[in-house]
Amino acid sequence: MLPVPCIRPHYKLKTNMKSTARLLTSLLLILIATASSAQQRFTISGYVKDENSGETLIGISIGKPGTSTGTVSNEYGFYSLTLPAGKHDIQFSYIGYQPQKFTIDLTANKRLDIKLGKSDRQLNEVVISGKQQEKNINTLNTSMNKLDIAEIRKLPTFMGEVDVIRTIQTLPGVNTVGEGAASFNVRGGNGDENLILMDEAPVYNSTHMLGFFSVFNPDAVKNINLIKGGFPAEYGGRTASVLDIRMKDGNNQKFAMTGGIGNIFSRLAVEGPLQKDKSSFIIAGRRSYMDVLMKPFLKGDMKDTKLYFYDLTAKVNFQLNKNNSLFVSGYFGRDVFGFGKEANMNWGNNTASLRWNHIFNNRLFMNLTTYYTKYDYSLKFLSNEKSTTSQEFSWTSNIINYGVKPSFTYYLNSNNTLHFGAQGTYYTFKPGNTLSRQDADETRIVLKDKNALEGALYLDHEWKAGNKFGVQYGVRLSGFQYRGKGTAYYYADTTAGIRKRFIGTKDYENGKTIADYYFLEPRLSARYAINSTSSVKAAFSRSAQYMHQLSNTASPTPVDIWTPVSNNVKPQLTDQVTAGYFYNAPGDKFELSAEVFYKKMQDQLDFIDNADLDLNEFIEGDLLASKGRAYGLELYVKKDIGATTGWISYTLSRSERKTPGLSLNEWFINRYDRTHNLNIVASHEFTKRASMSANWMFASGTPATFADSRLEFQDWDIPYNTTEKRNNYRLKPFHRLDLSFTYKGKQLKRWKGEWVFSLYNVYARRNAYTVYFRQNPDDPSKKEAVRLSIIGSIIPGITYNFKF
Amino acid sequence: MKRNLTTIALLLAAAGFTACEDTIDIDIPKGKTYTVVDAWITDVPGKQDIRLTQSVPYTSQGAAPVISDAKVTLTDVTGNKTFAFTFANGVYSHDPGAGQKIGEIGHVYKLRIELKEGVFEAQDTLKRVPVIDSIAADFKTKEEAVSGEEGFFARFYAKDLVGATDWYWVRSYRNNLQTRVEDIFTIDGSYAEDVADGKDFIQPISEGITDYGKPFLEGEKVIVRLSSVTKRSHAFLEQVQQQIDNGGLFAKILENVPTNVLNTDKNSQGRVLGWFGTSAVSYKEKTMQK
Repeated sequence: MLPVPCIRPHYKLKTNMKSTARLLTSLLLILIATASSAQQRFTISGYVKDENSGETLIGISIGKPGTSTGTVSNEYGFYSLTLPAGKHDIQFSYIGYQPQKFTIDLTANKRLDIKLGKSDRQLNEVVISGKQQEKNINTLNTSMNKLDIAEIRKLPTFMGEVDVIRTIQTLPGVNTVGEGAASFNVRGGNGDENLILMDEAPVYNSTHMLGFFSVFNPDAVKNINLIKGGFPAEYGGRTASVLDIRMKDGNNQKFAMTGGIGNIFSRLAVEGPLQKDKSSFIIAGRRSYMDVLMKPFLKGDMKDTKLYFYDLTAKVNFQLNKNNSLFVSGYFGRDVFGFGKEANMNWGNNTASLRWNHIFNNRLFMNLTTYYTKYDYSLKFLSNEKSTTSQEFSWTSNIINYGVKPSFTYYLNSNNTLHFGAQGTYYTFKPGNTLSRQDADETRIVLKDKNALEGALYLDHEWKAGNKFGVQYGVRLSGFQYRGKGTAYYYADTTAGIRKRFIGTKDYENGKTIADYYFLEPRLSARYAINSTSSVKAAFSRSAQYMHQLSNTASPTPVDIWTPVSNNVKPQLTDQVTAGYFYNAPGDKFELSAEVFYKKMQDQLDFIDNADLDLNEFIEGDLLASKGRAYGLELYVKKDIGATTGWISYTLSRSERKTPGLSLNEWFINRYDRTHNLNIVASHEFTKRASMSANWMFASGTPATFADSRLEFQDWDIPYNTTEKRNNYRLKPFHRLDLSFTYKGKQLKRWKGEWVFSLYNVYARRNAYTVYFRQNPDDPSKKEAVRLSIIGSIIPGITYNFKF
Repeated sequence: MKRNLTTIALLLAAAGFTACEDTIDIDIPKGKTYTVVDAWITDVPGKQDIRLTQSVPYTSQGAAPVISDAKVTLTDVTGNKTFAFTFANGVYSHDPGAGQKIGEIGHVYKLRIELKEGVFEAQDTLKRVPVIDSIAADFKTKEEAVSGEEGFFARFYAKDLVGATDWYWVRSYRNNLQTRVEDIFTIDGSYAEDVADGKDFIQPISEGITDYGKPFLEGEKVIVRLSSVTKRSHAFLEQVQQQIDNGGLFAKILENVPTNVLNTDKNSQGRVLGWFGTSAVSYKEKTMQK
């Protein structure tokens, strides 16, 4: 592992840069040599789309059957394949689609836009054969899971609702601290280390209802891609994972409406062409109505209870001409909770992105994304109307990003592809504004705004050296400027683990640098094909993270704020190595992978005991820097075709940290560590109309800090841990079975409907989320340990989904 | 406390699901044993008590064993007076005589405890406190009450003292001073410094004296004690409350509360736990009647 202290990043950068530059130059020379020495070559390129909806298709294999020559369509459905002049058989194939085969006589560059038609189930088994460029044995990437919405829809649901985040939690290397956790943990990383992108705009809060539902409306999602290691150079800014979610473009052939009515919320999505084949739109919305259903049962002060969430996803795209397309997408989501006028709170994300796809020529593709993203929350308390004085307390906070990302793909030839680009983000943080009012008398606390600029340049090269060996290597240069207008706080060094003594502040003018950091992040993955059914891969990646979420609860709450690195807080740096074995059974009956990883993390954030994270101007005095490490083994078997499909994933892992000032300065296990994590996901089609799916998960209990003693003080019994070690015990193992049954009504030409019946937590297991210690409320002399289960019973759900 | 407000609300939201709690048996090795200092001196006339006990396993029932062989003295540093506390009936006490009081507003006090583990000292300042103007109570039926429990919901009225930041500890009791109900910690009658100087105590604090799950019944008496505390004691008490009410979806990691009772020999390994605080107090009570 490469130790990189970030105390002197400039120095480190220089030494790193020299060796990386040398490596890059030599590899590029080889590349140019291979490209130029070739015989005459021509390129076929174009877009791949769905025949019925006109949706662009991501990850379609385009290649010569029976060889490894080929490519995969990108996130915008574009492909480019350069081949020697002459006759070629080219096949376009994808799971669930009827493959198309062409014999092409290449005598010039050729534009070939393809529409693929869906195949029905029976055909599936025959269809999937021959080389698939996107199969895990053939791609260069390791530690990547791609799922399209059709696969996600097969999983059993929570209260009848399909959910993106719940689905990825069944993949190897992904876990959570428990049901209802608002974040997920990838390969021993913290919840704030996941880069969640919705149509390329980062999303800060990925769940509704404190973690029960994800913010992504499944009716509008096309495809998700989870990367856990060996990150391509294009991705950065977070260290544990990238969850890249692509929304549908909207049907450009005909109007369509999809929706669902369930016991928690209802959904409706409308899509259709603005101009057939050229442009389309989709608008998808959801609203939960637990409060509406509850209303008749609520009385008195509870009558005005508000408890709901809603979100709206909208997207428009225009194909301007053969070489230019524009996409505008927006998301607006909110969780609302309150009692009458007296207590109200709401929080949510807004994102907007504008993307321009431009084809410079048949080998050079560009996507330019500009985006805006905002997460904010607001809390408001008002005194009762009957009260003699009028009082108010309100609290708001937000984080806003403006970003631009030009990215280029240069398809040099069928063996070489270059990816390069730049990224820039401007951040503003409003950590907290409060207003306290009594009658006309107002007082405000305003935590100072923070501003920052993040930039990155990247270049990577995918190189297939013959049939056996492939490598993708690259480098990302990232930098972060914590800048004015702002205030730097200075603290004296003290004993680790106690609040740092505040010395003073310094104000900085607009644009002036308060602190800056630069890192060179090398990325490398390599593949070696053992034979036509198996390959081995290995990867190294370094990634830097310049933002932290301040949270000292088991899982983040909606009011936990994000904060940039500063003169006091260092960026987090993570190095990861991973290696794996990949196998595709003949005929693609199933695929299998086994991966190991080791991760070293520097400058993860932690907090002193009894840290004050709320509206605390001197919060940085309560922060601690930790070292972390995580390692594990992940096994994954997946079956895509046939009447029975699904996957089994198993992870054996460990995630630890060491923080001076905590837990006797020794290594301790992270709160989100789970030694074993097993998921079995299966679905079976009985007939064309009836299917059933099941999901069973088993995971070791998460660690927790237990009290071994109590102190009698002022009629209280204060829990106390005399070992002074963090996470000294483990909760009982977590396991749960979910089932769902789908029955499709008569599939009429215009109207297609289905009923989904689901059972969550079938055998009503009470999985502990936390254990805490208290005096019995009815008999304070009794002291007890209490297990809190978020879900303690079986939860049924019914949803009716329709499409016309 | 700011956090508590939001947490309470969020918890209620989560309760809409099927969150459930049950008591479990856990098997934890017995921890180390420490002496626990429970010393809180007030300006109430008459006898003042200090308790020294041992830490005990968390789920052990019954009172903790008392330490009876310590030497305890309290010094009024400002008034240059020393009070010897003698052990009797499970507590160390000093009685300055009827109508006489130990605590004086503005004075600095030092506690000294001689134990087998060593000699320990702590210091605190006795701050000013306002009076409680009145207590009101509303009767709510099951249907009207947020908690769905019928009974009297009480509220006290007090005004923060003008000038300087004041930290307070509000404790309410049911019928007698042995039956504690709620504890609230506040800064100038609000939740933050520099926002509420000289104002009425805000509603969430003044209405916090009732246990919503078990409101007062007709004929029951609510007693409210308002105590001044130092900033340090306020922080300690908030930490205590955090550890005592650390349940729910957003439970924090269990963290040990600090102590201000320190070994006079800095090189010694001997430690005690607990806290020494001083307060000026005001009381008010009200009997519930329709």
